[in-house]
Amino acid sequence: MNFPTRCLSFFCFAFLGVWASAQEVVPPNTDGALIRSIATTQTKLVKIFGASAGRVQGYGTGIIVSSDGMIVTSQGVYLDGPQVKVVLHDGREFVATILRRNRTLQLALLKIETADLLAFELSSEPVGEKGDWVLAFSNAFRVADKDEPVSVMIGTIALRSFIDAKLSERDVAYKGDIVLIDAITSNPGAAGGAVTDLDGVLVGVIGKIINSSETNTRLNYAVPSHLVADFVSGKLEETTEAAESVMAKPADLGIKLFALGGKRNPAYVDRIVDGGPAEIAGLVTDDMVISIGGQKIGTVKEFEATVKNLVPGEEVLIIVKRGTQLLRLPITPREAK
Amino acid sequence: MNEKTTHKFICVVALTLLFANSIPGLGVAQEQKTDGQQIIDQLRALQLSSRAFRAAVAKVEPALVTIESFGGSGAIAGRIGGIRQQGEGNTTGLLIDDAGHIVTSTFNFIQRPPVITVITADGERHVAKLLGKDNTRKLCLLKIDNPPQNVALTYSAIDEMKVGQWTISIGVGFGDSNPAISTGILSAKNRVGGKAIQTDANVSPACYGGPLIDIDGQVMGICVPLNPQSQAIGAGVEWYDSGIGFAIPLKELGDMLDRLKAGESIEPAFLGIQPLAGEQENGLLIQEVVPDSPASAAGLQSADLLLSLNGEAITDIMKLKQILSRMESGQTVKLKYKDGATEKEHEVDVILGTPPVPKDQPQLEPPEIR
Repeated sequence: MNFPTRCLSFFCFAFLGVWASAQEVVPPNTDGALIRSIATTQTKLVKIFGASAGRVQGYGTGIIVSSDGMIVTSQGVYLDGPQVKVVLHDGREFVATILRRNRTLQLALLKIETADLLAFELSSEPVGEKGDWVLAFSNAFRVADKDEPVSVMIGTIALRSFIDAKLSERDVAYKGDIVLIDAITSNPGAAGGAVTDLDGVLVGVIGKIINSSETNTRLNYAVPSHLVADFVSGKLEETTEAAESVMAKPADLGIKLFALGGKRNPAYVDRIVDGGPAEIAGLVTDDMVISIGGQKIGTVKEFEATVKNLVPGEEVLIIVKRGTQLLRLPITPREAK
Repeated sequence: MNEKTTHKFICVVALTLLFANSIPGLGVAQEQKTDGQQIIDQLRALQLSSRAFRAAVAKVEPALVTIESFGGSGAIAGRIGGIRQQGEGNTTGLLIDDAGHIVTSTFNFIQRPPVITVITADGERHVAKLLGKDNTRKLCLLKIDNPPQNVALTYSAIDEMKVGQWTISIGVGFGDSNPAISTGILSAKNRVGGKAIQTDANVSPACYGGPLIDIDGQVMGICVPLNPQSQAIGAGVEWYDSGIGFAIPLKELGDMLDRLKAGESIEPAFLGIQPLAGEQENGLLIQEVVPDSPASAAGLQSADLLLSLNGEAITDIMKLKQILSRMESGQTVKLKYKDGATEKEHEVDVILGTPPVPKDQPQLEPPEIR
């Protein structure tokens, strides 16, 4: 799975062309813009080696973000060992210190003691839109070592979207804008690598491997450059969601669901509590709840989770299926007793 | 220049510039003269293609629908019918007419949801009815009432498709109503018993049921999971995002779609013989006949030598599989064989059956609709 067939595509598209022209003895200084852009970007990537833990790999990729040796990489166990080794494109090796980590973005900022490095400029605006070609640079599978350049792939931006809240919270607490790409970057060691546009401008940093619960497939994505910029400049503060929810009282709709068969069953109404919000809204027994406040209700479990987060007194739209009809009804939750 | 011609033009320019370099003797002379210019154009050509991708996607977006499933056998944890567990998210379909028919993939209903709703591109939600399904192509048909009207799609004919041309797969499975796309090229035609085309664009649960389109925005096919080695309901999903993706062309399917509209269920064909391993001359030697199978009903026995099916010579097991993969359950075929005992040749009519349910596949019944 995720076999990098894309690499092959890229070979077909670009390298064959270059090889063909190289055989026509084209002087090296007339390399194409795309080829030059790739060569330049390669010098801004680093290979990172550290501790491994069981089957979790002890290596990753990083991008240079300042000429004096600041490096952004992805959070991972390879940063937790006694020593983190950074290898530059020219083979020079450094021991890095970890300056800062961000749990929500799963990024880490490293520092090596050197100067005069070529670094990515971090745009404060989003770079790239759906359908744009992008290049992905990473040391996936630890293919490169010493002075070997990291691997490059080509793909397009699949979608700029919001990472779904249903992703495993343990891995990613981040719920912001992400850049989904169609190059396969969800492989060991790729996290912390660069996604750039064809001119070498940073689109984002390759994220760690996560599974989308929507599709039960791996996501290939990058954390957008403007968020990386905020992280590097120290502007980004960890958001504490707990603070918001402390004040909220649990809500109730006065609906008892048909509970036989477990929490993965559809949310069928078994009983309407007398005088409750559901009765006032006009729901009846055997209605099936489809959506509350724009949130799809697929199961009894999702119903419970969604209702818990409603604000008492704040009207929302509930959509129910009655026979073959869909009814849209305003409903005002009350405080749970 | 009208819109379509413009896109074709961009496409041709992009392809020409992309591939000119890789074909020896083509464009080389010019390249040496205006080298810098030529290569900058290569990058420019890629950038132009991005604009063409977006324009193509915009043409089919009005027909894209988001499918929501409620309930079903999702309560069974882990793998279903020998395949990866399906995601929890919405899936993709394509509205194909003003009557409200939606083509999508059977993969999206593996959990047999008793209730299906559809959100059309105008944001309206509809209760959908599942009509027929074609399990040989992993396609099925939904029907909604009061669909958006005049959603005009154009379809690409298989004969016009060229291996190497741009392809774009489209789906809403990542959970955003704004569809995600993946670009690639057409890798092959005439795959999986001639039913499918193949692409290296990403094809996964995020786009199963969604369209694979060309650079003009014409629908080339519907993305489905397929594996030529297996007829299992979820087979093929293990190759998701691998660069090996399949789609079922629609333009040539008129008859099949009519059958699905009528609620028919099309199942893969099953003969019921276990061939002897290794190669034989002139045919395929039967080691064992599956009891109660179409083969046993037709009187075939072990040691019989299969010669041809509908006049097409059976040279080995792969050839037999290939022929059968073009057929469907219930179809009557002419089978020619040589009797192992009498050495006489016979021709019999066999009504093809349905493969038995694999042992590891739980018998999933949808919960009753209350």
